[in-house]
Amino acid sequence: MADTAGLAAFDGDALTAYRQKALACVLPKTKEQVSAVLKFAGEEGIAIVPRGAGTSLSGGALPLADAILMGMGRMNRILEIDYENRCVVTEPGVTNLSITRAVEVRGFYYAPDPSSQIACTVGGNVAENSGGIHCLKYGLTTHNLLGVEMVLPGGDRVRLGGKAGDGGLDLLGIAAGSEGLLGIVVEATLRILPKPPVTRTLMAAFRSVPDAGQCVADIIGAGVIPAAMEFMDKNCIGAVEDYCSPGYPRDAEGILIIEVDGVAAEAAHAAERVTEIAKAAGASAVTEAFDENERIRLWAGRKAAFPAMGRLAPDMLCMDGTIPRHALPRVLIRMAEMSKKYGLGFCNVFHAGDGNLHPLIIFDVMKEGELARAEAFGAAILQLCVEVGGVLTGEHGVGVEKRDLMPVMFTDADLAQQQRLKCAFDSAGLFNPGKVFPTLSACVELGHMHVKGGRVPFPNLPRF
Amino acid sequence: MISAQTEADVIDAVRDARAKSRTLEIMSRGTKRAYGRPMSCDDVLNVSALSGIVKYEPAELILTVLPGTPVAEITTLLDSKHQRLGFEPVDWGAMLGTATGKSTIGGVLSADVNGAAAIRYGRARDSLLGIRAVNGLAESYKAGGKVVKNVTGFDLPKLMCGAMGTLGVLTEVTLRVYPKPPQSVSLIVRDVSVEDGFALLRRVWQSPLEATALAYIPASVPITQLGYVGEGAALIRLEGAHEPLKEKIAALLAIARSAQPIEAANVFDSISRGTIFAGRNCDLWRVSVPSSEAAGIVRQMGSSVFAADWAGGSLWIGLDAGGNGAELRAHCERADGQATLVKADEETRQRVAPFPPEPAARRALTRSVKAAFDPQNVFNPGRMWKAV
Ligand SMILES: Cc1cc2nc3c(=O)[nH]c(=O)nc-3n(C[C@H](O)[C@H](O)[C@H](O)COP(=O)(O)OP(=O)(O)OC[C@H]3O[C@@H](n4cnc5c(N)ncnc54)[C@H](O)[C@@H]3O)c2cc1C
Repeated sequence: MADTAGLAAFDGDALTAYRQKALACVLPKTKEQVSAVLKFAGEEGIAIVPRGAGTSLSGGALPLADAILMGMGRMNRILEIDYENRCVVTEPGVTNLSITRAVEVRGFYYAPDPSSQIACTVGGNVAENSGGIHCLKYGLTTHNLLGVEMVLPGGDRVRLGGKAGDGGLDLLGIAAGSEGLLGIVVEATLRILPKPPVTRTLMAAFRSVPDAGQCVADIIGAGVIPAAMEFMDKNCIGAVEDYCSPGYPRDAEGILIIEVDGVAAEAAHAAERVTEIAKAAGASAVTEAFDENERIRLWAGRKAAFPAMGRLAPDMLCMDGTIPRHALPRVLIRMAEMSKKYGLGFCNVFHAGDGNLHPLIIFDVMKEGELARAEAFGAAILQLCVEVGGVLTGEHGVGVEKRDLMPVMFTDADLAQQQRLKCAFDSAGLFNPGKVFPTLSACVELGHMHVKGGRVPFPNLPRF
Repeated sequence: MISAQTEADVIDAVRDARAKSRTLEIMSRGTKRAYGRPMSCDDVLNVSALSGIVKYEPAELILTVLPGTPVAEITTLLDSKHQRLGFEPVDWGAMLGTATGKSTIGGVLSADVNGAAAIRYGRARDSLLGIRAVNGLAESYKAGGKVVKNVTGFDLPKLMCGAMGTLGVLTEVTLRVYPKPPQSVSLIVRDVSVEDGFALLRRVWQSPLEATALAYIPASVPITQLGYVGEGAALIRLEGAHEPLKEKIAALLAIARSAQPIEAANVFDSISRGTIFAGRNCDLWRVSVPSSEAAGIVRQMGSSVFAADWAGGSLWIGLDAGGNGAELRAHCERADGQATLVKADEETRQRVAPFPPEPAARRALTRSVKAAFDPQNVFNPGRMWKAV
């Protein structure tokens, strides 16, 4: 596909501030076709940008003017369901939720559950190492990924991992979270889990944010690992109540939604412990969803955080740093100060169990300077995350969005080692160039041995 | 032997080796020296003195230590806060004929040796969150992070797990830890065949009981503690607080009516440590296959020396000493799995590739990755394969 209208359909991802049309777009249906395109691209020195559903929040699937965009949406078949060995073998274009849908008849599910799960693809999940609200207990994509088949730059196909691993270097661990920089995932083997028989959902309201933070620490400290533990601040509660009235207490400074699961006695035991601990930590109220409808309503509020904030302003930036949980009160205070400084509203939703913050910054692109201010505010938040001992991204990836912040967390030596690994897969620098790394070093500068013919990759690469 | 006390010492040693084109064997307490291909390095770099707890934050589920820290020390520390490592690190010292109780966390991670509970919590690689390391250019770098959820940059910590020290020297590791359930019960199902035993263990694994051990021992590998086992015994470990555990045991009895509680907690440990095979004059292979294929492999090989962990997904198989394992590897390949030679004499490990041979495209990639970390082949050359 190379016509303007066709390319316009693929001109960006969910990091909406950036738009760019690709040189051409290919939509392969088979591994062989992927190999053939990559062989051709390798020979011609044309860059490749892999794309799943385009829901990346970090600009990972943003096209480049001089690159082929490879959309994986047509490789959308589940190839094998192997209940005996608790796994599913799938093509990369299958959506995340389809995996659970395919196995739930037998009481199984696929654990990583990004909020975008009806749209995002397995290939995108692998590339971003996506998480969801259940990852404290059940892990990110990487912990639920048994194997992939990958087509490397140049068209060679390799298997990494498998139903029983591969016994070699853990290159599968590298493929997960590689943000489309190392190759195209053309097949994935995913672990499925038996559905817990009982799930119980509680809500605890707090008069102060530090109390909520203490409650989270106390729950974990007491040896309870909830299936999910989500924090929402006052701004967020207000926005969500206006939007869909899930019944959150508007007067609370923050709430925690806590889900526990397991066999009945296990869920009951955990629910009891959580209630005790929350009360001791100063919760003004702890309530439990009494039936499935009520449970869905409690979660509906959390899941509506995005659209609810979206009503307050035309544009929104969703940040994604992780912090040690004990730093939460300090970080929230500093963020409120920054909000004043940058003159932009924001709210906080937080995967509290694993310390993954999602501040949502609201702004209006049409207003002079607001995009730049929003980005500066976002960057300041992420710098703060690193300063308190955390990281730039917990689940959304670096992409173009956080590329230039990498030096905040990593030294030159750290980044050089990462780039050398990139060169081991992609010596010509053809895969998703301009993403993740703040400076593009030619592999030859990094002392890598596999550079072909001294070709310097992309001297004219557009930078954003 | 060069003894490093600090990361700076490691950097100096590597810089020096590089300048003189010398190779280094990376060694901590040396309990797994007899694992992998035999090497002849110009020097040994001993890193066991890089030992100690850097930071333990129970409420964050995070532990940062120096890699030379003995596993025993870590276990004691975590135990004091009712926590533990999920992958249940294993000590292969006794099996490999070196000392027992000396293994260090860096060694365990580098060799990727996991115990029974890994079927529930994942392997070592799933718990390693962050590292500092020195590469073959004598540069120190860090990767990953010190929080439980992080996707910033490539996940180099995972790559270090199981790399047998061929990619660099770890100088600090950050691990995720797990709460330790208050109670634990082991149950035995006696007199089951390999097929029925593995199928039973799989049914438990497919249920929501979250078993933390699913093992099988045949009659031919007797363990006094288990008493009469008939054809063989399936062993299951369930954990939790008192009431939940009662419910889990009841649910297990619905799957396996004859299951009986037994005092056998250390049996799981002796299986993963391979000590149940003590005194047998055979080579020990570690086989990873999808559980449903495991019984077939056992039958095809016809060896009476075997035992299973992870519902059959991880098998020990003893074969005649000095054999090349070709038949086993062929069966494994057909079953979508592979076999690693763990215990054999030096001559055998030289002749037979201990780590699974790789297909051509994959081999080329592995070599490029090695070169990306250690272009001059300073670290443990040939420990995994001839070129790596
Ligand atoms: C409303 C909303 C909610 C979200 N919630 C969450 C959440 O809760 N948790 C979370 O972790 N993320 C979340 N995300 C982010 C996003 O959905 C995930 O990162 C998702 O995994 C991206 O999948 P995708 O198929 O859309 O990939 P894309 O956006 O198309 O691509 C993402 C990256 O993967 C690469 N890629 C895609 N397919 C392949 C392939 N086959 N081989 C190699 N590389 C490939 C691309 O090059 C790009 O770098 C959310 C996004 C939105 C819009």
